[in-house]
Amino acid sequence: MLDENLIKELKAIVGPKMVSTAPTVCESYAYSFSLSIDWVTRPEIVVMPTTTRHVSEIVKLANRYKVPVTPKGVAGMTGHGGPLHGGILLDFIHMDKILLIDDKNMKAVTEPGCSFFKLAQELFKKEMILPTAEYGPGPNVAASAITPVNGFGKTRYGRNIDLVEGFEVVLPTGEIVQIGSMAYAETDFGPFFRYITGPDLIGLFTQSNGAYGIVTKIAYRCLKRPPYWSFFTYYWPLEKIRKCAEVLQEATAMELFDVHINDKWKFEAFKYLTGVSLVPDDCYFCVIFSINGFSQQELEGKRKTVEALCSGLEGKELPGIAETFFDAWPTFFCPPTHPIAAQLADAGYKVIKGGYMYLYDSMNYPLSWFPEVYEKIMEIAQKHKIHGPPRLTVFDGFPMKSQVMCSQTWAFVNRKDPEWMQAIHKSTEELREWFGKRGGTYQQCFPPVLPDFTWTNQKSAHTLLKRFKQFLDPNNILSPGTF
Amino acid sequence: MPEFKTWNLEQFKEWIDLCLHCGACYARGPIVPHNWRELPPHEYAAPHKKCPPFEYFKFKNYSPQGRQILASLIFNDRYEIDEEVIRSFFSCTSCAMCNEICIPYRPMYTVLAMRQEIVEKGLEIPNPLKKITDNIQSSGNIFGSRKHPEIFKELSIPETGEDIFYSGCYATYLQPETALASVKILKSAGIDIAHLGDKEGCCGEMLKQSGNMELFKKTAVENVEKLKQAGAKRVIISCAHGYSTFKNDYTNPHVVGALPFEVIHITEMIASLLKNGRIRFSKNLNKTVTYHDPCFLGRQCGIYTQPREILAAIPGLTLNEMDRYGKWSYCCGAGGKVTMNAFPEMAKETGKERLLEARAVADTLVTSCPTCLAHFKKTAKTEGIDIEIVDVSMLVAKTMELVD
Repeated sequence: MLDENLIKELKAIVGPKMVSTAPTVCESYAYSFSLSIDWVTRPEIVVMPTTTRHVSEIVKLANRYKVPVTPKGVAGMTGHGGPLHGGILLDFIHMDKILLIDDKNMKAVTEPGCSFFKLAQELFKKEMILPTAEYGPGPNVAASAITPVNGFGKTRYGRNIDLVEGFEVVLPTGEIVQIGSMAYAETDFGPFFRYITGPDLIGLFTQSNGAYGIVTKIAYRCLKRPPYWSFFTYYWPLEKIRKCAEVLQEATAMELFDVHINDKWKFEAFKYLTGVSLVPDDCYFCVIFSINGFSQQELEGKRKTVEALCSGLEGKELPGIAETFFDAWPTFFCPPTHPIAAQLADAGYKVIKGGYMYLYDSMNYPLSWFPEVYEKIMEIAQKHKIHGPPRLTVFDGFPMKSQVMCSQTWAFVNRKDPEWMQAIHKSTEELREWFGKRGGTYQQCFPPVLPDFTWTNQKSAHTLLKRFKQFLDPNNILSPGTF
Repeated sequence: MPEFKTWNLEQFKEWIDLCLHCGACYARGPIVPHNWRELPPHEYAAPHKKCPPFEYFKFKNYSPQGRQILASLIFNDRYEIDEEVIRSFFSCTSCAMCNEICIPYRPMYTVLAMRQEIVEKGLEIPNPLKKITDNIQSSGNIFGSRKHPEIFKELSIPETGEDIFYSGCYATYLQPETALASVKILKSAGIDIAHLGDKEGCCGEMLKQSGNMELFKKTAVENVEKLKQAGAKRVIISCAHGYSTFKNDYTNPHVVGALPFEVIHITEMIASLLKNGRIRFSKNLNKTVTYHDPCFLGRQCGIYTQPREILAAIPGLTLNEMDRYGKWSYCCGAGGKVTMNAFPEMAKETGKERLLEARAVADTLVTSCPTCLAHFKKTAKTEGIDIEIVDVSMLVAKTMELVD
């Protein structure tokens, strides 16, 4: 039962219109932008702070009343962006200012609720770019940095958290601290450098679900936006999977903007519905390259290098795919508004009579392991009859710098259909078992679902995380249940 | 892709679980930032602020996404309708910007389906809407006026004919000068225009907006029958709401279906008469204007170019667009007459924001919807915003020297 005085004091901090305990209001915050889990936890209070001071006061108050506080998160269509144990949910959508765009030093600082689209738009005007594909209209800049899951949308530069350089954070005590480049924010130099003297503290707050502190400002490292771009695709048959893997490894080591891999099932929905195939019969893996340059010559040089790499490893060029998916308006990273995504949704309607694609794994592994992991995924999918039409199990791979592959597999499944959901869940569990025993952890839902490879595979790290939690947040106020 | 606007409630219940919760329908900022090389063209450049009730009430349940969540739960019998649910669904302005953003799921239709569910469950809708429903039933107009004004007395136009002008409640009872201007323009083009006179009834849009589909259907059938009996081959409508109701809702197979006459908005008619040389604009008006696309004419019916063609042809007129125009035009706040009646404070704030946006680029705001016109005029007066607000037909009648 909520203390009436708590509500009164919250309203005094942020204003009466920015606090609600109405069940209907809270219910609408119980769901996340997720293609993978149906985690539903209703907060008891939704509060919308508009300043860092508000957040600090709210956290102090929560300590006094021993009520949990969770910042709204979620990124890349996976995970859960709400509370795990009720309490106060902080929605930052009205705290969305862009505080700094420094085109000389290539930095951007925003409030936590600023959307990536808004930031990207402004950066673009100053000839900069965030090398992220984790746009998705819903996630805001801080949410994507604190959500401890992997999801759709990465470039070769990695995840959004790889681009974070600084935070302003409200600690569980209500104390406001600036870390990383934000430690320099008020100096003459500005937020120029992630590293301060001593350990790098940024990592304590990324992927933390807000359990160690609530991010109220975030500094991103940006890139200069080259004016010349090219998008093209090469393909390989199934039996050449190892050649394809070799290309991924080589290409990811080069200075390209992005390398992406899908199997043919991504395009089979169209064939299934219309009989028209978008890819040739001998095509199984499509690797899509996004390259750029500051001159036409640089662009052409890069393209020639990649083309030589692909042809040297028996790849064939496939015109049309990359140009349609990555070069056309609007960007692909906006599922509901993209005409192609709308067609995918259409396929969803027709094939499964409702719902949309269901993301059933999300994992990171050494890029060199791609053939083994892929073959296992498909072996399990075939066993549980979700391979091929009409479920169209699709592999979506994001090779990143450091030779790490992040991949997701999704299928067209009606979530209301118990038969297909059971098949999906069996595949998920079997794959998790195989993957976990090799050291991998599933990263599309958090806290992890059983069997708990996330913590058993990272035991000492987990122990330390829990110790930090006890030290920083003795009342277990911030996002309890995270660690 | 399913065509939601022709669906009925049962179909909505079956398909409701589609929302991905991405938040594009209300989140701040454009929905598409760029395609690596250039900023998005207007077609994809959704405005910073999108959803008026969300901007006013702040919480997610007042956004299209939040309403999708609630509707899904309610249609699946997992959540009970309470007062806050009713507020969430009736505060939607039906501006349809979310429908432009979310092509696959068209969230606004869910709102209409949910309002119907609320009524079918016998739950209380906001009082002002009950009153309007009673007015339509008792007097045939939304204002409950017993006496039908003789707006065309000076023109003595017939009550039957192939071309019938449908004036609608707002123009008939509140802004007869706009209806008169429209008819004078049509007559000057040599069109033998008729009007049903006191036989003309409310189009019933407010019944649909209030969730009363049964009464709406009855009203639609009666209206179509009256116009058919009067010999209508073309029905010319100056009200954006009436036009959208005839064009989009009457034609729904669950309401009337195919209509026995053509439905034309006055701006379509004027633009066509202008093109064919049947009318000419002569008087120089010397104004800097901006055009507010009414939600029910623009997004809901796709009429964007004709009003602009008309304005471009008026001598001495300069058209400056607002930041949000065309398919990204922001609601005037009247919200299909629902919000201006049931949530007047929100309607006022929304109208104020739009008026200030207009005043930043022009000294005159032109629109082609009597509801937008009335709401803007009222808001400008109460908020002390100095801008002239005028209907496009009035401007045309002035440049044709048909009115003073």
